[in-house]
Amino acid sequence: MGGKQPEPANVSSKSESMATNKASPDLLNSLSFKSLKLKTKQQELLIRVSILGLVYVLAFIARLFSVLRYESMIHEFDPYFNYRTTLFLTEKGFYEFWNWFDSESWYPLGRIIGGTLYPGLMVTAALIYWTLRFLRFFVHIREVCVLTAPFFASNTTVVAYFFGKEIWDTGAGLVAAALIAICPGYISRSVAGSYDNEAVAIFALLLTFYLFVKAVNTGSLAWALGSAFGYFYMVSAWGGYVFIINLVPLYVLVLLITGRYSMRLYVAYNCMYILGMLLAMQIRFVGFQHVQSGEHMGAMGVFLLMQVFYFLDWVKYQLNDTKLFQTFLRITVTSAILVGGIALGVGTASGYISPWTGRFYSLLDPTYAKDHIPIIASVSEHQPTAWSSFMFDYHILLFLFPAGLYFCFKRLSDATIFIVMYGLTSLYFAGVMVRLILVATPAVCLISAIAVSATVKNLTSLLRTKQKVPQTGSMKGAGSSKASSKVLLDQSQPFQKNGAIALLLGVFYLLSRYAIHCTWVTSEAYSSPSIVLAARGAHGNRIIFDDYREAYYWLRQNTPTDAKVMSWWDYGYQITAMGNRTVIVDNNTWNNTHIATVGRAMSSYEDEAYDIMRSLDVNYVLVVFGGVTGYSSDDINKFLWMVRIGGGVFPVIKEPDYLVNGEFRVDKGASPKMLNCLMYKLCYYRFGELVTEYGKPSGYDRARGVEIGNKDIKLEHLEEAYTTSNWIVRIYRVKPPTNRL
Amino acid sequence: MAPRSDSQTLATGSAMSDTSVESSIDPIFHILRIIPFSFLRPPRLRLKLPSFTLPSPMTVFALILLTYFLVVSGFVYDVIVEPPGIGSTQDPITGSIRPVVFMSGRVNGQYIIEGLSSGFMFVLGGIGIIMLDLALDKNRAKSVKASYATAGISSIVIAYVMSMLFIRIKIPGYLH
Repeated sequence: MGGKQPEPANVSSKSESMATNKASPDLLNSLSFKSLKLKTKQQELLIRVSILGLVYVLAFIARLFSVLRYESMIHEFDPYFNYRTTLFLTEKGFYEFWNWFDSESWYPLGRIIGGTLYPGLMVTAALIYWTLRFLRFFVHIREVCVLTAPFFASNTTVVAYFFGKEIWDTGAGLVAAALIAICPGYISRSVAGSYDNEAVAIFALLLTFYLFVKAVNTGSLAWALGSAFGYFYMVSAWGGYVFIINLVPLYVLVLLITGRYSMRLYVAYNCMYILGMLLAMQIRFVGFQHVQSGEHMGAMGVFLLMQVFYFLDWVKYQLNDTKLFQTFLRITVTSAILVGGIALGVGTASGYISPWTGRFYSLLDPTYAKDHIPIIASVSEHQPTAWSSFMFDYHILLFLFPAGLYFCFKRLSDATIFIVMYGLTSLYFAGVMVRLILVATPAVCLISAIAVSATVKNLTSLLRTKQKVPQTGSMKGAGSSKASSKVLLDQSQPFQKNGAIALLLGVFYLLSRYAIHCTWVTSEAYSSPSIVLAARGAHGNRIIFDDYREAYYWLRQNTPTDAKVMSWWDYGYQITAMGNRTVIVDNNTWNNTHIATVGRAMSSYEDEAYDIMRSLDVNYVLVVFGGVTGYSSDDINKFLWMVRIGGGVFPVIKEPDYLVNGEFRVDKGASPKMLNCLMYKLCYYRFGELVTEYGKPSGYDRARGVEIGNKDIKLEHLEEAYTTSNWIVRIYRVKPPTNRL
Repeated sequence: MAPRSDSQTLATGSAMSDTSVESSIDPIFHILRIIPFSFLRPPRLRLKLPSFTLPSPMTVFALILLTYFLVVSGFVYDVIVEPPGIGSTQDPITGSIRPVVFMSGRVNGQYIIEGLSSGFMFVLGGIGIIMLDLALDKNRAKSVKASYATAGISSIVIAYVMSMLFIRIKIPGYLH
């Protein structure tokens, strides 16, 4: 339609210019009407590029709510560790970073940071920082860290466009890019300030998958090489690379079963597996896991199966005799399965191949973590997903996902089989653990984009049939049935056209509701820095609680440099990064016994706790208390987890001692052990004198909604060092032992 | 795998077995020919190996739709956390127990029935879009196409409206 219109204008302008200026300079010719009109292909390219550009910018700015509302700072807990390591990397260089042993955390054990982290994120941020400095933009590394996640989210939309183009067509690619730019499932972990591994990892994941599907479609070694490097980037960025190394072999297996074995698949998978495995072993944290760990054995098994398939194909080609080949096939397949099974059995029995680790095993058997590993079960992100979480994070996409699956099944190809498998496996895992909704988001967006694109294409083709029908009707009247059917179509044409327009408006309405929902969710739910709390005052004004940073800076400025701080492991990273002091346990949670020791200290009486603290050289104790502000994520609410984890290692701590009739209480009816344990004393010291709410007695705990039981607290071995302005963080000094008289 | 099919070739006919004996390179077959089948005579059976045919794409799709319904209803949450089927609250004045369908206040908590009904709405919406696509397929009668179209549109509208209603009940501050 676009191509027809300009032509008459071109002809007239051409005659005009030729008539008016025969000896005109070239400048006038180049400025003529003709050069500004684009052909249809160029118009389409312009539309596509401008849409992609707008989506790129949209993905970036949608994530900037917290920077605009608060300030440019790092959020939550884990990003502080990443920030500290990135700072170290930019200051000391790569070799120091790679060989870093940190004695400031996990006192007195220390932590081999170089060998126990995924360096992809830090190296990426450092590279961006050095590039900007080379271009003479002298930004602070913190700004780079804060804005890394939105930058990579924008890059993900571009990759999603190419992926959608590979699977379906350019329309689906554009819709996929637009959907993924604002999808709350992705925004939740990639908002500005959320400087965590997932920020880069989702980009690497989608890139690897795109390059692999491209390699399978083209059979080119170059694309397979690209996917191996994409896999290497993913391994360096996040522990979730295990998903790739299991999904890709599963996909290859499904292709083999459905009879889609081809040379392209052989080239793509072999190149990616071998090179990817060799590259992945360069990361110290991963090490030899690709040949030793049970989670990676599936890939090796499929690799060997591919060789068997290729061998059989070659033998079949050589033999030219079907009966011989059938017997040979039977022998080979049986022996291959036998040999593989024996090797796997010997490896597992001898202990060379380690079994599945608890983190990943709990994905296959979700009840495992609840019974056996309380640390994994205690993290709120690891809980299974309820329907409202899905709705919150996906909205319209939940309707479009099954429709998209239907379209994929209608047009099965190697690429659509891949996206279907990715979507189903990731959605199942998202159902098991809330945190993994992030991994499912690209698949859901892509499949939904297919549904939208196919539906819109159907509807617009209905709109366009109007032009073709009169032509064929007028050309020939061959056969009365044909003529009558054309007449019938003619009669229903306006109805169909109106219906199609109405449905298109409906699609537009649904997508606009999706955009409104996504913006609202981003603004309300996912843009909170967690380290700065905000609440609405009595008159609707916003009150900011900056107690955490206040406490950490007090630690930084008012304690000796070699002071050791004991707190629950949630706050470890923040204390080391902002307070610059040594901590006993932090968020890495690699040593369960050490955490259990701290948990035991927190749940014991003050005398026993003092012995434990002296043995760990603790100088300061930090607790988080929400009784004055009504903040519900404080240490008293986490207390039962301390008891469970401590009790898991030290049987002297028994959970029923702290409960009354199975109920956790802090008021007068609480158990005596609870009323006198260290955590209770430290949280409620001097709280009995405080009136927190009008009309309630003194010592009313606003987070639990009860008046506390033990108001007259005396501390023998500790003294209060600092309490923040809203009583959220409380720091105590451990007194040295009294002199013997 | 090899011995079973060998016994089948022995059972089906001696003529065929002669040619298979001469041309077979299978060592296990030859071993079995000597021991024990040189002195044992296998009975004539009519056995057939079960053949493995792949199901059609649409069958697989139906199964997948069922799995999708289970996952999105929060089935894993139900199995692990074991919430009650429906919640209950006590009326403060009369003292009677009133049922509560939606666990309010939390985004990541549900009762079993609310999960299943929401999951059903999502699947209904998806099926509505599928029916819309079936309606635009050229090879059907007009009346069938029209009924598919109306069913599809009504499914989508109902599913969307109900889902919005559910989320508004569950999260009171939604979109404010």
